[in-house]
Amino acid sequence: MSKNKIPIGPFHPLLEEAEYFELTVDGETVVDIDLEIGWMHRGHEFISEQKSFTQSIYLVERICGICSTSHPLACVHAVEDIDNIDIPLRARYIRTLVGELERIHSHLLWLGLAGHFIGYDTLWMWAWKYREPVLRMCEIVSGNRNHYGIMRVGGVAKDVDTGAIPDLMKNLDMIDSKIVMVANAAKDDPVLKARLKGVGVLSYEDAIAYCATGPTSRASGVPSDIRRDDPTDAYDLVDFDVIVASNGDVYDKLVVRLLETIESTKIIRQCIEKLKTVKGPILNNVKEISPGEGIGRYEAPRGEVFHYMRSDGTNRPIRHKVRAPSYVNIPTYSASCKGISVSDALITLAAVDPCYCCTERSLKIKDIKKNKCSFNLLDLSRSKTKRIRRKFNGNK
Amino acid sequence: MGKVQEFIHYMGNKIDHKIEKKKRFYFNVKNTDLRFVVDYLFNKMECRLSTATGMEMYHGLEILYHFSDDKNGQYYCPRVVIEDKENPKVNSIVGIVQGAEWIEREIFDFWGVNFIDHPRMEKLLTLNNDIIKEKPMRMRRES
Repeated sequence: MSKNKIPIGPFHPLLEEAEYFELTVDGETVVDIDLEIGWMHRGHEFISEQKSFTQSIYLVERICGICSTSHPLACVHAVEDIDNIDIPLRARYIRTLVGELERIHSHLLWLGLAGHFIGYDTLWMWAWKYREPVLRMCEIVSGNRNHYGIMRVGGVAKDVDTGAIPDLMKNLDMIDSKIVMVANAAKDDPVLKARLKGVGVLSYEDAIAYCATGPTSRASGVPSDIRRDDPTDAYDLVDFDVIVASNGDVYDKLVVRLLETIESTKIIRQCIEKLKTVKGPILNNVKEISPGEGIGRYEAPRGEVFHYMRSDGTNRPIRHKVRAPSYVNIPTYSASCKGISVSDALITLAAVDPCYCCTERSLKIKDIKKNKCSFNLLDLSRSKTKRIRRKFNGNK
Repeated sequence: MGKVQEFIHYMGNKIDHKIEKKKRFYFNVKNTDLRFVVDYLFNKMECRLSTATGMEMYHGLEILYHFSDDKNGQYYCPRVVIEDKENPKVNSIVGIVQGAEWIEREIFDFWGVNFIDHPRMEKLLTLNNDIIKEKPMRMRRES
């Protein structure tokens, strides 16, 4: 059978960030994938070298709407690493609190999109419904639902109002029970298991070879989590488990994210409890940064966010390197997509959480010879789930 | 003996200009020794390559690799200094670390550094952009 090419992107309603994937298919089997990035390059590193250290924090906050805590946190960690700057204890708990809220809303966003891609719209609506109180908690803590703007070198810019703590606890109690309910419903669902188990497998060896991070690598059995391995902020003061699975398929990536969300609620509860008793300053007054170099990183929902800063003693960096987790996770498609069927391609691409924006309209499979669009990839994915569901229900 | 001291001892005179900080270890390595050092870090010490940073300094171009030892949060950062700014070349490490493919392509794209034996030495981020000039990160130093 002749091989066809399936172009996805670069400017595509399904992709939140413009990227270009070209799947080579033999019949229904994906035999190769080529990736092309750079369509959304905005020159953050170049711009940052013309900004002060504080301005750089605001700049990197705009790299990603979902990771709008992870980048600023990694950025301030890098500057603090140059001079080994200490952070007040209360600020450490506030940073951890905001970081974990971000993890929950990011994982719930992904869960909803993944549900939609495979035709589980109830899961999509549940996940996004219970994401809403998380965003409300972000607003209570920082004043914003997104782009919080509270990270500073030496601490945080905004304290958590003691009067708001009961409200935070009330929201957390509600989220806690609902997340457990959604997690159990999703991971015990027989149709979901049948649909996702064994799909888009990234082996342990490939996860190591591609230097994958976050849930993408942990689902393949790599026990790496920056929060535990190189703890900053209050991560060495709170109890949590690092979730690791072993199969590396889409189902394990789902399970890792779901269980991580439950761990995040535990961390948030501990932080809020501590904020009731730990008083004191929230910001160390950092007047200047010495010449030198520093590395900052943070375990973002998608994996390790890495920032490198080099200072010459002035108020701005002479080099600021940024590496987001998708940059190392997206190349793993080369390993996880080969040999899967076209109807599994969409969920496999989505499984590393590469900032997808959900719309079904123009993802088309193109037959090179006929040069016309034949059918819709999202429909293929959803119809496969329908077939499995019908099988479980006795072909009803 | 700690792991860093063991590493220093094993490498001998292959590394110099050592800067040791809390959980960070920066050192210089010659281009000819780069693959040996990377192979040891990645395969023997099981470090993960976070990324590599390209920089232009007065004395030349620098490539700073960031290897993370996830078991204890320690960073090992080998630095290669290329004095020939007109025709910069470094040995590719893709043969050892598959995950370095995009990282090296980005440095080639932004800084014009050629990685010897890279399987696909072409631009990564400005491939389809006709407006951005060659080696954009070096522009401000040239002007």
